[in-house]
Amino acid sequence: MALDYRKCAEEIVQHIGGRDNIAQAAHCATRLRLVIKDNDKIDKKALENVDGVKGMFENNGQLQLIIGTGTVNKVYDEFLAVTGMSAATKDDVKAAAAAKQPVWKRMLKALGDVFVPILPAIVASGLMMGLVEALGKAIPGFASTDWYNFLDMIANTAFAYLPVIVAVSAARVFGGNIFLGAVIGLAMIHSNLLNAWSLGSADVQIDYWHLFFFNVRKVGYQGHVIPVIIAVWLMCMIEKWLHKHVPEMIDLFVTPLCTVLATTFLTFTIIGPIFAQLETWVLAGAQVLVRNPIGAGIMGAIYPWTVVMGLHHMYNIIEAGMLAEAGGLNTWMPIASAANFAQFGACLAVGLKARNNKTKVVAIPSSMSAALGITEPAIFGVNMRFFKPFIAGMIGGAVGAIFGAVTGIGATAYGVTGIPGYLTIDKPVQYTILLLISGGIAFVLANILWREEVDEEGAGKNLTDKTTTEEVVQDVADAAQGAEITSKTVIACSAGRIAQPTPGKVIPYTEIPDPTFAAGVLGQGVGIQPEEGVVYAPMDGEISSVAESKHAIGITGSDDMELLIHVGVDTVAMNGDGFETFVNEGDTVKKGQKLMTFDRAKIKEAGHPETVVVLLTNSDDYEDVKFGEDI
Amino acid sequence: MKEFKYTITDPVGIHARPAGLLVKEAKQFASTVMIIKGEKSSKATSLTKLMGMGIVKGDEVTVQIEGDDEEACAAAMEKFMTENL
Repeated sequence: MALDYRKCAEEIVQHIGGRDNIAQAAHCATRLRLVIKDNDKIDKKALENVDGVKGMFENNGQLQLIIGTGTVNKVYDEFLAVTGMSAATKDDVKAAAAAKQPVWKRMLKALGDVFVPILPAIVASGLMMGLVEALGKAIPGFASTDWYNFLDMIANTAFAYLPVIVAVSAARVFGGNIFLGAVIGLAMIHSNLLNAWSLGSADVQIDYWHLFFFNVRKVGYQGHVIPVIIAVWLMCMIEKWLHKHVPEMIDLFVTPLCTVLATTFLTFTIIGPIFAQLETWVLAGAQVLVRNPIGAGIMGAIYPWTVVMGLHHMYNIIEAGMLAEAGGLNTWMPIASAANFAQFGACLAVGLKARNNKTKVVAIPSSMSAALGITEPAIFGVNMRFFKPFIAGMIGGAVGAIFGAVTGIGATAYGVTGIPGYLTIDKPVQYTILLLISGGIAFVLANILWREEVDEEGAGKNLTDKTTTEEVVQDVADAAQGAEITSKTVIACSAGRIAQPTPGKVIPYTEIPDPTFAAGVLGQGVGIQPEEGVVYAPMDGEISSVAESKHAIGITGSDDMELLIHVGVDTVAMNGDGFETFVNEGDTVKKGQKLMTFDRAKIKEAGHPETVVVLLTNSDDYEDVKFGEDI
Repeated sequence: MKEFKYTITDPVGIHARPAGLLVKEAKQFASTVMIIKGEKSSKATSLTKLMGMGIVKGDEVTVQIEGDDEEACAAAMEKFMTENL
């Protein structure tokens, strides 16, 4: 019996709390994707029983109803007719789902979005800076060589001009013109302004501009992050507003000019001074705090926040002050070290625990940089983004800082923390314990607190749909087996690596018992004599097709690699009998995820070879395709 | 843009071997070839998508060709499909 689309749509609307409870609606190949205002109004039981709804789950603020290929669009049309809503794209739905998140979460996300793209620059600089500084302290005389001078300049370039890099990235995130963003960033560190870093170290005279009733300090914003991001955000708002309201004919003259003028004025008169004031308070507060262990603990905890705000460069003033006192010992350094090393521990935990390769490749190098005392990559790129590791880092830093204050260790110089800190610390043994405490606590806590979020529907479904413990246990076992089997690469080319999707003996495609496959008409690759009737995703990608007869799955991976996994030869004739698939067209899959099971006995019974064919169907597009067992 | 309709006569439809040959044929031309069946459509150069359409014997497909060499391409595609599908 054909499905009554109208009835299906009407029932769905009824069970999700009516039209008024729907924020957005869209559909993909198989699902109806809805953003619901109040989840309590959803009658899940009733929804699942609606004729036509094959399953449901919630993900990232979206309610997804599985309806099926070819049907979902019809139900969707009726759904729009019933509710009187207009069509939304998938992006709209995603945006609406994001908007449902609390403000601070969205702000953190924006911070992350700004920082992740610029990480390479910060990591390169951070690592180089740590090494150069360490070398300068370790080798007497090195600091006065040309090499040191040269390397030091290169290393601090990205930090010295960080506002520009941040501004460009922020302009991109907030949807403004990136070149105007660059102008804002450059203005904030213009060479006519007094360098903010020289503020603390020397007795410098601050000049003022008198603009209207504002007294504007002629000081740059070197090392600052938050004021820059706020300034650029403001710029984007102004720019967009002007684009909308200025007649097109004069838009090109008026909009950029007014945008830059208004933004820079507001930045130097209001945004900047607020943060400058904040800075002064933080510094004064910090100086008071660090004099006792409890204060040191608090400082150790909030230290990473001051890194986020770009205030930590100012601490040099405190440190310099401490050293200047008679017999002065820099007791600030152990606190900073504890805080930084805790970020290292938390970031390392994420790097080791993450299964998502992208997270891993950011987290591991970032943690190394943090161990050398440069924590920006770890904080912005990893810990802050996932937030829980950041909390773990705060706790680790606090405990380490208390320990530091109790033992009374200190440094004889300032500027280095983390591992290079050994060069300046007075009691290396206690310092080692301090690092172990702060890093260790953060590592363990991050490990406990942080769980990798599976962000896409395919995997989310597996976890949320399952209810019984056995099913969950089975899932975990599947995931473990999937990860193990897909640890071997069977096809590699410039675009990426494809793992072995099923356990068994690997043969080159030329030996597959079928002339078409063996001739390479469908592309190059391998055959696998399966030892078990299961197929795992051999790479991250999107399911481009699932054969109606369920025996073949296509995956599109990075750089448009098109992979075909075809189970058995001539098995199209079995019409799906003995095959079960766990993914739908359009799903995003992660390497190691279970895609399909097949009944080896049934294939044998039907008289077909059971070779699992794995081919890179567009291998012609790549020049360096290699294949074979575990290459 | 050129367009023609064709009813599949090959017993297994557009599956592995025929699909592979179709992709090879389509890749020789600069034009974009779209295969359309009902609401599903795929570029003729994407093997996995083609196979996912589940085109079987008796299905009528629409072939759309667009590009600089669409004349030659359309002729070649029609000839290929008559001979192989």
